[in-house]
Amino acid sequence: MRKIQLIAQRELKERISSRSFLLTALLGPLFVLGLVYALFSLGGSEKQHWNVLIMDKTEIMENKIAPKQDPRFTFHFINEFVEYDQFATLEQFKDYDLAVLINEKIISNKQVIVSYRELPSESIQRRLIYHVERRFEEIMVKQFTDLEVSKFREIKQSMNFSFKNTSDPKNEINHKAAWVGYVFGIGILLFVFLFGMTILRGVANEKSNRVIEVLLASVHPRQLLTGKVLGIGITALVQFVLWGLIIGIGLYLFRQTFFPDLLDPTLLVEQMSQDLAQQALDEFALTARNYNDFVDLVYRDIHFTNMLLFFVLFFLGAYFFYGSFFAMIGSAMGSESDGQQYIIPISIVLVLSILSGYYVIYHPQTSLAEILGYLPFTSPVVMMIELSRGFSEGDVWKIYFSLFLIFLAGFILFRLAGRIYKNGILQFGHRLKFRLIIRWLKKS
Amino acid sequence: MLQLEGIYKSYYRQRVLEDVSFNVPSGQIIGLLGPNGAGKTTLIRIINQIIEPDKGYISLSGKRMTSEHLKNIGYLPEERGLYKTMTVENHALFLGQLRGLPKNDVQKQLDYWLEKFEIQGWRKKRIEELSKGMAQKVQFICTVLHDPDLLILDEPFSGFDPINVDLIRAELNAFRVAGKTIILSTHNMKSVEEICDRAVLIHKGKKIMEGAIHDIRSEHKEGLFSITFTGNMIAFATALWAGYEIISKEVHNDTTFTVYLKMRGENEFNDLLSTLLPAVKIISAQEVLPSMEDVFMKKINAGKEVEHA
Repeated sequence: MRKIQLIAQRELKERISSRSFLLTALLGPLFVLGLVYALFSLGGSEKQHWNVLIMDKTEIMENKIAPKQDPRFTFHFINEFVEYDQFATLEQFKDYDLAVLINEKIISNKQVIVSYRELPSESIQRRLIYHVERRFEEIMVKQFTDLEVSKFREIKQSMNFSFKNTSDPKNEINHKAAWVGYVFGIGILLFVFLFGMTILRGVANEKSNRVIEVLLASVHPRQLLTGKVLGIGITALVQFVLWGLIIGIGLYLFRQTFFPDLLDPTLLVEQMSQDLAQQALDEFALTARNYNDFVDLVYRDIHFTNMLLFFVLFFLGAYFFYGSFFAMIGSAMGSESDGQQYIIPISIVLVLSILSGYYVIYHPQTSLAEILGYLPFTSPVVMMIELSRGFSEGDVWKIYFSLFLIFLAGFILFRLAGRIYKNGILQFGHRLKFRLIIRWLKKS
Repeated sequence: MLQLEGIYKSYYRQRVLEDVSFNVPSGQIIGLLGPNGAGKTTLIRIINQIIEPDKGYISLSGKRMTSEHLKNIGYLPEERGLYKTMTVENHALFLGQLRGLPKNDVQKQLDYWLEKFEIQGWRKKRIEELSKGMAQKVQFICTVLHDPDLLILDEPFSGFDPINVDLIRAELNAFRVAGKTIILSTHNMKSVEEICDRAVLIHKGKKIMEGAIHDIRSEHKEGLFSITFTGNMIAFATALWAGYEIISKEVHNDTTFTVYLKMRGENEFNDLLSTLLPAVKIISAQEVLPSMEDVFMKKINAGKEVEHA
């Protein structure tokens, strides 16, 4: 164990002190932050004007909404309730972008359902909520109290708004969330490939400069391989933590400095409430920034704790699984250039894993998607997608089972890699052939 | 000290070592000789437990060798390798600790060796900054850092200039005096003659010769004598007209020569001297033992002839 620790320490020290490690640790997250900033700054690419249908069966709202007009909305009222599928399909509703359902007991239950064709951005959602709430404040004050609106506002209960896709009211197809998982999954594969190549190069270098012979006179090949894989794995985790920290701090700073009004609804609503009496909505429209879906995605939709935890777990599983392949090739190479041909198949498998994620986003309920979720080659991407979509309570076992499978496969493959490593590491100058690998595998 | 008993090793049905047995006594330097591909490296790897023999065993100080014994072995392979980006100190710490030495002891040993070789300034240098010879020296230090009882050195002098060859040779002698055992694998037969006590010759995986260096050379002597004299060459040749065969001669100056000759019939060394004394002034006369290189060539070629026959 002590020897494994020494080897892992050496690997860790060497990798961490290398210039490429520091460059990757700094430039990588900065690049990501730059990309995020650019996407944030792009602003809303969404619709500029929304036709809103208010389905107010009992006409509580009296076909009125706001004291002043908001240029972003045109409100239409009907005194009936339209089903989701009707709203989604019927020709007469095609021109409406949003439908707001005002139920008969809204005064007591405070529930408002908004169905949409295209998900409005957070700011548009807040704006709509604002208008509806203001109208109900007026109604409540008029019907139930003697208070002024501003006084009533201080004691009132907020209304609960839920936004639903007209074509997916149960929120079964959550592509946006799936893309988040996909990005995380690709991140796993990217890290695995990066550090898998580090294993390959490390093994091949020790072999080509013959330091391996001195090492093997002190440690067992399996200890050497284990130490190396562990050391490089820890390096990857350090790199990952640095990325996480830098990106985390960057996103926090974005929110605090460049985009302070991003996603703090209370801040905005407070501001709106205070300003309401004096400011026209037109003015508000000019001052409030309009952000795109990406902002919601980053600041609201990603459950970072969960995603990062499983990112690390699946990364470790995938690292042992794919890393074993890289170690096999590195140790079996007769010369440094010899192994290049064997990297191509692994790269193809990695690309196929990425493509499998794409498939799963659009075909989530298929049996192939289910299988891909358990295959160690593809499970890191697929399961991150599934995780970001969310598992129902009865299905949580799936992610643990998938984790178990990838770790089991990684363990078995690592044992096989150890066998090839032991038999191949002291072979020099040969041409690497598949037959040779099989022969080394058979040999204990 | 080290005992090899019936070592067999094959790679994919090809026999690399066959029934190799020999002993290496404590405090001796043994030359492991053999042409390329004879199986020396395989044997060394087996002693170092890098690979396992198919059959046979090795014992060290009377005990069957286990991985525990590895800390008593220092191994300098022929193909030297160091981590280029590591400093001399870190490299020594890494390898020393792998051999089971505590960190503080490695530091002390490193201080000792750096001072001994007068290279204290190299401590913080990266390996890639060193010349080939300097790196060889670092490698030698890393090999002996843990003060092993058994040293296995594969071509230890290659890459060194004559001054450093002398330095390493002196260290090996010091190890011998300290009771350490050294296995020296080399193609440099002159080194073998100069510093080895014993030699083992391996050819095609089999041990074909073993013994003390002097005994091996004596066993292969061919009755060759060298006489260095002053006088007339014609008088010398005339005196040896019958009963002797002149093989070659070296002319030092007009009157001083060294002649190599063999005796014919029942003649002995005393007869030779009494024949020559009246004719020339003898400076030195001795029996010439074959060099280890000659013995090596002879044994290997004899093996080839047997094969052809």
